[in-house]
Amino acid sequence: MLFFSFFKTLVNHEVTVELKNDISIRGTLKSVDQYLNIKLDDISVVEEMKYPHLSSVKNVFIRGSVVRYVHLPAAAVDTPLLEDATRREASQAVAKAKQG
Amino acid sequence: MSEQSPQPNGDAATDGDARDPSGFLSEIIGAPVTVKLNSGVVYKGDLQSVDGYMNIALERAKEYVDGEMKRNYGDAFVRGNNVMYIAADM
Amino acid sequence: MADNDQSNSVSEPLDLVRLSLDEVVFVKLRGDRELKGRLHAYDSHCNIVLGEVEETIYTIEEDDEGEETVKTTKKQAEMLFVRGESFVLISPQPPS
Repeated sequence: MLFFSFFKTLVNHEVTVELKNDISIRGTLKSVDQYLNIKLDDISVVEEMKYPHLSSVKNVFIRGSVVRYVHLPAAAVDTPLLEDATRREASQAVAKAKQG
Repeated sequence: MSEQSPQPNGDAATDGDARDPSGFLSEIIGAPVTVKLNSGVVYKGDLQSVDGYMNIALERAKEYVDGEMKRNYGDAFVRGNNVMYIAADM
Repeated sequence: MADNDQSNSVSEPLDLVRLSLDEVVFVKLRGDRELKGRLHAYDSHCNIVLGEVEETIYTIEEDDEGEETVKTTKKQAEMLFVRGESFVLISPQPPS
């Protein structure tokens, strides 16, 4: 749930999603779900000449499993908060593994 | 506070080879091991810990690509899905 | 049962990653890619977030004579989410 919650805090920010097939799509993050599927609005394709087949597309839904990276605006990320949330999630995972 | 129930064959429990695979893994914690990944890359180091996904923590790990030593890591965590095997070095 | 003393020890592999939070780490990915950056987040799938990232990509290039050479490409990123599926290895110290 950590990254689902994290991405929800980034809704309406500009991000660049780099796919496993090397295509990079820049756009406004509109929504995300538990699988980290991503909806982007007002998209543009980096290196458009190389990938012309997306040039008329405005909005995309990207399946989470095809994502390699998501480039984020550093200013929109509270890193100490994110590290604390990571530690909390890690200790929950350990507790779950012990009872389970 | 009760003891864990013993294995059906009490003698087998003391014999490393008769244990199940994760029993083997917990026995070689701290020992020098060779870890081969599906990519063919090999790591040699001391086994710090393993979990149920075969995630591995190695200490003073050396990385070998095509048999050639490429890198030294003080510590290294390897994600379990990449692991082909873990062998205890003699 | 009473081992609440899990803050500094490495009792399971992911503890090694937890102890690397807010440190500069080296990450190896599938597809001959490597990252160096500060670790800000991870989960049990090995999804991670790195800051001030340098990515190195190794590709094989063939010249006119059919000779193969390894080409390295470097890229920078200020903040990067990396999906766990690509993740192979993480090390808290830069390798030597």
